[in-house]
Amino acid sequence: MRKSLENRTGAGYSFLAPAIIFYLVFFLFPVAFSFLTSFKRWNMLTPFINAPFIGFKNFLDLLRDDLFIMALRNTLFYAILTVSITLVLALFYAVMINKARFSVLWRFIYFAPVVTPQVAIATIWGYLYNPNSGLLNAILRAIGLKGLNWLTDPNVALFSVILTAVWAGLGGSMLIFTASLNNIPQEYYDAANLDGATGFKEFWNITLPLLKPTLLFLSATGLISAWQVFDLPYMLGRNAPAKSVITVSWYTYEIAFQDLKMGKASAGAFLLFIAIFIITLIVLRLFGKEGIEGYE
Amino acid sequence: MNRDRKKLFWETFRYAVIIFGAIWMILPFFWLFSASLMTPQELLAFPPKILPSHPQWQNYKEVVKRIPILLHYKNSLIVSLSVTISVLLTSSLSGYSFAKLKFPGEEVFFRFVLSTMMFPVFIFLIPVYYLMRLFGWLNNYLSLITPFIVSGYGIFLIRQFILTIPDELLDSARIDGASEIIIYFKIILPLLRPALATLAILTFIGQWNSFLWPLIITTSAPQLTTLPVGISRLSLAFATTETQHLILAALVLQVIPTAILFLFLQRYYIKGFVLSGFSEI
Amino acid sequence: MKKFFIPILIVFLLLTSMSFGSTKLVFTVHWADYQLDGIKDKEGNIVVKGLKQYVEEYMKTHPDVEIEVRSVAFDELLKKIIIDHTGGLPSDVYGLYSLWGVELVKSGILDEPPKDIQNAVRLLFVKPAVDGATINGRIWGVPTEIDNYALVYNKKLLAEAGFKKPPQKWVDLVNIASKLTKKNPDGSIAQYGFAFLAGWDSAVVHPYLALLYSNGGEFLSKDFKECLLDRKEAIEALDAELELFRKGATNTAASVYNFPNGTVAMMIMAPWYETDLKLGFKDKYQETVGVAPIPYLKKPATCGYTWFIGVDSASKNKKQAWDFIRWMTIQTMSNGATRMGELMAKNIGAIPPSRVNLDKFPNELNDLYTQTFVRELIHTIQEPNVAQGQEIKTALMREIVEAWNGRKTAEQALKDAKKKIDEILMENY
Repeated sequence: MRKSLENRTGAGYSFLAPAIIFYLVFFLFPVAFSFLTSFKRWNMLTPFINAPFIGFKNFLDLLRDDLFIMALRNTLFYAILTVSITLVLALFYAVMINKARFSVLWRFIYFAPVVTPQVAIATIWGYLYNPNSGLLNAILRAIGLKGLNWLTDPNVALFSVILTAVWAGLGGSMLIFTASLNNIPQEYYDAANLDGATGFKEFWNITLPLLKPTLLFLSATGLISAWQVFDLPYMLGRNAPAKSVITVSWYTYEIAFQDLKMGKASAGAFLLFIAIFIITLIVLRLFGKEGIEGYE
Repeated sequence: MNRDRKKLFWETFRYAVIIFGAIWMILPFFWLFSASLMTPQELLAFPPKILPSHPQWQNYKEVVKRIPILLHYKNSLIVSLSVTISVLLTSSLSGYSFAKLKFPGEEVFFRFVLSTMMFPVFIFLIPVYYLMRLFGWLNNYLSLITPFIVSGYGIFLIRQFILTIPDELLDSARIDGASEIIIYFKIILPLLRPALATLAILTFIGQWNSFLWPLIITTSAPQLTTLPVGISRLSLAFATTETQHLILAALVLQVIPTAILFLFLQRYYIKGFVLSGFSEI
Repeated sequence: MKKFFIPILIVFLLLTSMSFGSTKLVFTVHWADYQLDGIKDKEGNIVVKGLKQYVEEYMKTHPDVEIEVRSVAFDELLKKIIIDHTGGLPSDVYGLYSLWGVELVKSGILDEPPKDIQNAVRLLFVKPAVDGATINGRIWGVPTEIDNYALVYNKKLLAEAGFKKPPQKWVDLVNIASKLTKKNPDGSIAQYGFAFLAGWDSAVVHPYLALLYSNGGEFLSKDFKECLLDRKEAIEALDAELELFRKGATNTAASVYNFPNGTVAMMIMAPWYETDLKLGFKDKYQETVGVAPIPYLKKPATCGYTWFIGVDSASKNKKQAWDFIRWMTIQTMSNGATRMGELMAKNIGAIPPSRVNLDKFPNELNDLYTQTFVRELIHTIQEPNVAQGQEIKTALMREIVEAWNGRKTAEQALKDAKKKIDEILMENY
């Protein structure tokens, strides 16, 4: 037994070798570089070496900036709503479609938004959200309600972005749920059916627990990427007051490439990292006592 | 009788719900295709048109005339395929390692991998560009491929899937004297088909539609220009109505290959493909 | 004489061999495909030249120079310039938006033009364009494009309501706009009397600056040390905009991009919108579209912005770069226009800022749409070439949008803007 244990360590490291090398080069160096930058004032046009150190000023400026705080708030709101709504709908539809006829067709249709480039999504939904000629308001008016200013009303704009994000991300999560659902051996269901458990009971007692690793994965990765969202809010939210729709990634990107303050932007990126880290930790705790290792 | 009626109800409910969702999913997609066949005037029409009066198939011809689309397809294909294959390989190797192979430092390293996903992209732009210049890869496909050959997302995904494979299966193979490499190829990989298919399609799409990094690299190396960057050359600064119809047609051309790939990979999602041989235990 | 023959021969050979080395210039711009490749007819013949045709012409007459043209979308151009720089591979020649030029000059990235080019710019170009190319009192490039803003209105909608002429004063504009606003049964606006350009910093800030200047106000102090938006004139200018909101003649959901479908009566717009209008109105274009100076508060004024062409200080071929620029922007062709002017007017559809060009392209510059913008050049005040210009404008934009949404009064919004802008100015001046 000891021999096989040693074998596994060797294999463990060698299987990881490509990843280790990659992260050394393409991760540790850039992150170290950016970390250093966050303590400097650097406009990227003068040499990096000459950029002056200004201590924690970048971090303090951001934390005192009410727009940055609003960006954090908006991003948090966006992340929680988008991920939770997407997961619930994705699981629902994965289950619905898996046992339906023409499942390949349905999966294709639901996945269509995922293959669509962001710029096309923004264009399409820009039209849908048009207050006068857009489809959404047309429907609202048809049922007797008043149309909304989807993209310019500060109270609505962020929700519009969330709605589009859910639409765009549903298919991807659904696909992963589908793969996991098909991973569950039919024998489990057969045994349960013999005991009389069908339908909802079957779902709750067999399917859901076996999907825990997938749920964990989708929540964690969903939150991580939702926190970094940039394209959709940037493209859809340009005409709403910034405070109501700006996200952290958008703001830091602007600080970097419009204000030419790479130091401050890097500081923002690290503050964002801390926020994501904390939130992910919370979510992982929710999913099991031992966090990511626990999936039972 | 009651049971049959109940079944009918739920089946109807199932299809009603699916179709309702499907309409919302496909509608914008349908509009994209329809709008790509309109004239610029029709796109400005109020109230907006749903179908073009005369499908302008020449929009597509015009796109092909104005941008070297075959070159862009080729470049995008080379980059996306290379990254996808690499990610499949490294994610499955690393994912297996984290899921089933116990070794010191495993937990810490896995958490490290997770945290690599938590950094916003723009942090990497300048340093990685420096690196590409240092390695002399700026005029090479390598600058478009290497920054993406390992994916924390992929590692995490595969790990979660491998966790569901029973240890007994692997231990019995180890007792029989199989090395980890053999186990990886003969047992793990076949069981991972749906997961690998999923990772393949998502990675491929991510690279195919990627804009920012290819933009930075290919504007100084135009022979490497990928599809999204090539399409952006059709747009004007603020008033892009003039070329909007062409851009929409070009976007359809961008979408078609990934749609085809998705359909092609669907065979790996059929239940039963996965766990053949499982019942032997 | 014979004694000197060999040395002279050697020197001669050295001189000629030096000019044999071919130079490569990289020229980075933000133009679309047909602006580079030219507009072609059905058979593929060039009908209107693009930048590449001019470049080819230059390379034919200067065989030792090779010019590579690179193009990046406008949104990405500044980022591209920065990354090229940090990567150590800058272009030689750039088409720059003037505020970007300020940042580049601050970091020593731009090469100061030869004296003859500086003088030519001062003498031959319209004032706002010269101001646009002037940073900290010196000229850093040759202006290639000047844009300003005017009132664009729907003649038909105005006539239907009984207005045969466009408003001249702002108070008339507000009056006409409220009369031209029509509502849907559910209370939303079906036809807007007025729509504001929005979505990016210049869109919101430039029209406001036009009103500010028209009201006799100032944006920043001459030494750029203080923001002057807390003064009475500035507040009145913003209040003038808010009047339209208060009277219900516009709201934040209004979009100038609805003008071509006839649901917006008036807007403040720039020269680059012409093609959209022609496409939207088709054969009704001539009878529908009208352009007039922006209705003024105290005196006629409009705001302008400039693009200029400059050379990188790290370029190894500065002399050749400036030679090319001189050929393209200062030297005139046989018809008296400059090549850049021709490219701008005929292909890009912009206003060439060199005076010699202004009367050479009647079809493009003296037509229904563009002629008013050209005439208004004398009232055009260039936006200030201040450091961190875009950051400042974005801060101002955000406050103006808050005021538009009724979340702040004009006074409060400008006070907050001044606070943020003063902080930025303090870092730089």
